[in-house]
Amino acid sequence: MNNGRTLWDSLKLPRPRRSGSRPHMIYLAIGFPPAAKSCAYRMRETANQFAAAGWDVTAVTIVDEAWEREYGLDHTLAAGVDSRVRVVKLPLFRDDLETDIRSFTERRALAHKDYLADLRKQNLKVFPEPVFGGWRPALEKALLQIHRERPVDLLVTTCAPYVNLSATWKLWETHQVPYVVDFRDGWSVDVINNGEAFPKESVSGQWEIKLLTNAVAIWNVNEPISRWYRERYPELAHKMRVVRNGYDASSIPAEVHPAPEDRPLTFGYLGALNLPVPLLDAVLKGWRTARAEDPALADARFEVRGHIGAAWARGDNAHAELLKAAAADGVVVGGSVPKAEVIDLYSRWDAVVLMVTGGRYMTSGKVYEYMATGLPVVSAHEADHDASTVLSTYPLWTGAVGLDPAELAGAFRRAAAMARTADQAEREKARAEARQYAREEQLIPAVREVTELVLGTGGSSGAPQASPAGARVLAREGRS
Amino acid sequence: MVLGAVPGRVAVLTDALEQFRALGVTVRVATTFDPAQKIPAATELAEVHLLPTAKELGPRFGRMIKRANPGRRPWLRAQRDPWVRRHAKRADVLVALDAQALHTVWQLAQRHRRADAVYGIAPALRAVEKRAADPARYRRPRIATVGPSPVVLASATRSQTVDLAKRVFEASTGQKAMKLSPLRWFWHRAVAAPGVPERFRGRIAKRVHRSMHLAGHKSSANQLALAAQGRLKSATTKGHLLGPIVEAELNQGKLPEHLMTVAKGQLKAADGFLKKRNPGKAAPHVLRAFDLMFHRIAHFDGVSSPLAEDPEGFLAPLHRSEVGKALATPRGRRAPAEFPPAGRPHRMLFFTGLNDNFVGSIISRYEAMPGVEVRRLNLVEESIRPVLSNGRTNLVHHMLAGTSKRAEEVQEAWGDHVAWADTVFVDWCNLPAAMLTMIDPGTARVIIRLHSFEAFSWWPHLTDWSRVDDVVFVSEHLRDFTLAAVPRLRAPQGPRTHVLTNAMELHRYAAPKPSADARFTLGLIGLSSLAKDPRWALAVLRELRSRDERYRLKLIGDDLRASLSPAVRAYVAQLDAELAELEPSGAVVRTGRTEDVPGALTDVGVILSTSVRESFHCGLVEGAASGAVPVVRDWPFFAGRPHSARNLFPSDWVVSTPEEAAERILAVTASEETWREAGRSAASHVLSTWDWSVTQKDFDRLLLEPPAGTD
Repeated sequence: MNNGRTLWDSLKLPRPRRSGSRPHMIYLAIGFPPAAKSCAYRMRETANQFAAAGWDVTAVTIVDEAWEREYGLDHTLAAGVDSRVRVVKLPLFRDDLETDIRSFTERRALAHKDYLADLRKQNLKVFPEPVFGGWRPALEKALLQIHRERPVDLLVTTCAPYVNLSATWKLWETHQVPYVVDFRDGWSVDVINNGEAFPKESVSGQWEIKLLTNAVAIWNVNEPISRWYRERYPELAHKMRVVRNGYDASSIPAEVHPAPEDRPLTFGYLGALNLPVPLLDAVLKGWRTARAEDPALADARFEVRGHIGAAWARGDNAHAELLKAAAADGVVVGGSVPKAEVIDLYSRWDAVVLMVTGGRYMTSGKVYEYMATGLPVVSAHEADHDASTVLSTYPLWTGAVGLDPAELAGAFRRAAAMARTADQAEREKARAEARQYAREEQLIPAVREVTELVLGTGGSSGAPQASPAGARVLAREGRS
Repeated sequence: MVLGAVPGRVAVLTDALEQFRALGVTVRVATTFDPAQKIPAATELAEVHLLPTAKELGPRFGRMIKRANPGRRPWLRAQRDPWVRRHAKRADVLVALDAQALHTVWQLAQRHRRADAVYGIAPALRAVEKRAADPARYRRPRIATVGPSPVVLASATRSQTVDLAKRVFEASTGQKAMKLSPLRWFWHRAVAAPGVPERFRGRIAKRVHRSMHLAGHKSSANQLALAAQGRLKSATTKGHLLGPIVEAELNQGKLPEHLMTVAKGQLKAADGFLKKRNPGKAAPHVLRAFDLMFHRIAHFDGVSSPLAEDPEGFLAPLHRSEVGKALATPRGRRAPAEFPPAGRPHRMLFFTGLNDNFVGSIISRYEAMPGVEVRRLNLVEESIRPVLSNGRTNLVHHMLAGTSKRAEEVQEAWGDHVAWADTVFVDWCNLPAAMLTMIDPGTARVIIRLHSFEAFSWWPHLTDWSRVDDVVFVSEHLRDFTLAAVPRLRAPQGPRTHVLTNAMELHRYAAPKPSADARFTLGLIGLSSLAKDPRWALAVLRELRSRDERYRLKLIGDDLRASLSPAVRAYVAQLDAELAELEPSGAVVRTGRTEDVPGALTDVGVILSTSVRESFHCGLVEGAASGAVPVVRDWPFFAGRPHSARNLFPSDWVVSTPEEAAERILAVTASEETWREAGRSAASHVLSTWDWSVTQKDFDRLLLEPPAGTD
């Protein structure tokens, strides 16, 4: 596989910024903008908040061409990155997503599945992560090189990929650089199947214990995951913090109105379609039933936006087939949306559909954004799901009805009624409920805490300035 | 575009074709299946072409396809298709629409380097857009894109050379070629010539051997295989080569010289698969090795057995192999067996239904005993029987893999019964016993009784002895033999071993013999297996009749079935010839099967045991209980060992040859008095030693008292 070793020698890092006495941190964030990935929003805000807190931030990700193989790029996302953040892009690629047959060996062309299986096996030998494990040497080398050029005072590493942990450990082992692990969805917790992903005694388990023991702080995206880790490592409980994903105010329309009676309703889903196929199937069946039974939905549309599949399977997988088959039911597939245009999308939608996999350990980032829109939310996930906890106080929620198509049809009908009847006051109440989840609100205290822990009270240039949610991002994107 | 398999998502494909059409792209799709039938919608949006089929390309191509890697098959068809050649040459973008088409597009891309070659619809659209954005760039001829790649040219030349060599080899080693004696002569020398690399020698020998067989030169084929195997090192190849010879010899009822060579080859092949962690593929080889090593021709249908002669040596290849070690891996139990607490009945579970011939008296005793609760697990019941189906295969797979679905099924079907029991008694060490050890018996004590035939079978090797507490043998010599054949029984985690005689109600056989002439009648009970060797009895009879024509032989029991095997057929033919000589004069009488054995014994004065192998021989002891004088052949399978017929019975009963037997018979039947006295003495011995009224105490000690050690 191409793990960057051949390209590595030609890598020229951007010149480190000289900012006087500002401390230097590496933000190891593979998926940093302009990668068109949902994690990029959190990464962008994390880097921005650390920059605002007085850090010189070096964000480490991989080259843009590598993202072309996956979900592509969204340059509007990069525009919102603080100009003080230096971005280092490593020439690392996912060989498993290669689609240029000319670069294949004959063996790979003959037995593609076996090749991929071997690749995973090789990667696992390097680090216990089948897809990214092979990146370990390159990542370690990169971090050491950055540290050599300008000593690093803090490393914030965000997973996935978990191979980032190896480079984090390298820097700690060789230079005792303090680090924060932004674990997001955790590692040893299986958020999809609600259980343990691997035991403590496994190779992954050993890596996790080692890394977490020496971390300055450990961040997770919700309380259930944080609880899992507190219970798993009680001695580390004091380091655990919940840093929710939150939403970007820049993506939310200033106000929403009830849908006028004379126009058909539009339901929307925004996000990568990496859901289980049965879940999507249940939603589409529910939609079809609701449309057939409720005159209010007779001419309604269901607009699905987001990436479908990656590499050779982009737009060519079971999800795509299901959605195309549902075209007769008013289901419209529109592809991905640049971050800057998300606001327009919400402006013309009348209700949103929250399709999320997993269960009690899964929240998803979408739920906060959906709440902030003040639009009725149709929940399509397991009833025992952390999104249900977040939505429980949201007034325009149809409730968690599980994944039975008949129940989902009822949820669509209730959402349709809300879309027509919920007045301005109700919507404002709903939006107010979501405000606590503004992304900055989530990150500012966490960044302040880390800064204080690493640099002492106040940091080098004081705590980050609290500002109205999303104001700085809006300003940078020229949308204020 | 190339489609190597019927697409699962036709709507996605047609949608993509519409997009290409909208972009002004001409799309041609080559498929490996009938497009009109499978993707009719696509045929309206693009020129869709079916690659030539194997039928169209001829039988040689068909054979080639069959041998080829599945990933290469679409290319073999596309390579011969002028339509593909014509359009691939002009294509700007070559697209593999599925993984099966990847190799075909890779090959085309090597030959047409000007085109983009991509995998998937979205990358194809991207390539088209990229080309449309800068058409001039793609029009310029570049050295790197002119003509086919040098790699592919070299590869094509190499493959053509190899192809030619293969053709020559196939022609000269084929069935037709083997009709020519000079070629046969040549290959005989070639496979045995020194210096031929092992892999070539093996491959050539196998092919030529098969071709010779098909051409009708079987003896030539066998000679070739024998010549080649002498030079081969690989046990697997040797086994493969000699397999048909061994098979043919077994079918003729002969014990093959190379039986163990082929068995070793199978074990080696199984080891190979086990090393690759593929127990599913290893299992059939283990089963085949078992079939050979424990073949009835080798151990049951002859008067000798290589296993009996040298149990350790004969089974050493099994025990040394990796699969043998895997089968021998003790899985143990979570908790040791617990003796039932005082204050509640002792719960005994008996496995019944398949062969209860020797367990009836035991069960009856404990069913009638206060303080004991007996339950029978009837193995032929509807709810249980399916668990036993295809049992041997499942057992082997389970033991190699360490786990299996069948073990869960056994747990489900038997688990509650085993959990209920304090003691589980399984008569016969065969399938049910082995299957019981697939599951952890909890705190129940597991006792298995091994009679005789099982020791010559694979079953003790498929039993996890770490889950068995006690093994009961019916004689010392069987214990010695089984412990030698199954070393695991002697392991620290192995079971305690005991010798307990069969439960025999011998007093039922004690009846007066009214006629003094009865002393001239020899009796032999049970003829249904070749191990009983009735011809030895005829030899004794002939010896006696040469001195006194009053002696006759009474054969009690079913005749030996010739259909059992070719070896039995040959034996029966010889036996019948001898009987044809003796029966008309009344020297031999066959009573056939009778339910009234005590009645049939009233005119028998001398009871014979002529077997080559016995664990105990109940028929003999029953005869002795009737007052007949016992004459026992020193069973050859065990003769000369520390334990044999000579230790089991009083030494004067046992003889080595028909002549010795005749001498003993003449001596004890010299007068009515001596005969009756010898008969009384024998009856008294068997009744006081082996009658159930005596031996049941041994069973009580085993079953009702806390376990001590090996007896």
